[in-house]
Amino acid sequence: MQKLMDHVEFRAALENAIKGKSANKAPFSVAWASGKLSRAHLARWAENHYHYVGPFADYLGYIYARMPEQYQEAKDFLLANMYEEEIGGDRHTDLLIRFAEACGTTAARIKNPDNMTPTTRGLQSWCYAVAMREDPIVAVAGLVVGLESQVPSIYRKQTPTLREKYKFTDEEVEFFDLHIVSDEIHGERGYQIVLEHANTVELQQRCLKICEIGAQMRLLYTTALYHDYVASDIPLAELDLASGVSAEERVLLQA
Amino acid sequence: MPNVIFHRNGETFVGEVKENTNLVVRAGIRQFPYPNFLYGCGMGKCGKCASLIIRGGEHLPEPNWKEKKRLGARIEQGYRLACQLWLTHDVELSQEAAPLVDVVAPAGAAVGRT
Repeated sequence: MQKLMDHVEFRAALENAIKGKSANKAPFSVAWASGKLSRAHLARWAENHYHYVGPFADYLGYIYARMPEQYQEAKDFLLANMYEEEIGGDRHTDLLIRFAEACGTTAARIKNPDNMTPTTRGLQSWCYAVAMREDPIVAVAGLVVGLESQVPSIYRKQTPTLREKYKFTDEEVEFFDLHIVSDEIHGERGYQIVLEHANTVELQQRCLKICEIGAQMRLLYTTALYHDYVASDIPLAELDLASGVSAEERVLLQA
Repeated sequence: MPNVIFHRNGETFVGEVKENTNLVVRAGIRQFPYPNFLYGCGMGKCGKCASLIIRGGEHLPEPNWKEKKRLGARIEQGYRLACQLWLTHDVELSQEAAPLVDVVAPAGAAVGRT
């Protein structure tokens, strides 16, 4: 029978739930980090990524509305997160569009939902469904801890490559820089909220499950980008996927 | 682990942080030097986290393009944008009581907490 975990045990369990399906292991991410993608590949990534992260404030808005009023800190965090995504400085999606234009695509193409893959549409729909239907603490676990908190580790790996191997300018890759700081704050505050308010065995288990699914959804999305846009140019055999990928994950990556 | 000595408003705050810590991230998650640390957008744009490095500056990387753009001549005086710094060694720094008027971006260009 499951028992209620203390904060230290629960945090370790959440980190474990995410780690197993980290998007860092997806072939698209490996190709990106090793400098093998073309600007056209990166443009397709941006056209998809816009539709996944673009509505992030919308996802959070649904959670905000359903978060119990006595959880004032959690509500304030969600509001601050929405504000920072949209109007706290440069709008985050404007910086994504700047990067995409440097890759050779256009703002019109990026904003056009017809340019996302069915898998991206699936990820976006999953995010909306979680935000609208799950217990708000479970939704924070899924979207903020499971997805947003992964971003700094991914972008830390990818951003130097964009400058050094792909020769983008500092201004062109600003989208990635900013997320290293802001998503680190958002991810950590997400952890704090989940640790504090997931105070029953059932809630803790639901949070763990949704973190696992969230990380899996992101891995699925990133893997689909490889198969839809890159596989015909860069076969899996040319990528160093051997390190740290279990047999089970390899099946998912190659699906 | 780096020790941080932080001065503001005539008070001194001391804390130990993990290696590769960013003080704006720390303040953002409500840990030392919160609530005494001035910061804003976390993007190197608003300039509210501008800090004078008193000791330990030799262990910091060269100012990046955002710091050069925002801080200008203040860099020569020893100012850095805390949001752009990941600490690996001890550091002593200070902030003014209010954000530096010649550094902070005009209202609307980048806003955030103070």
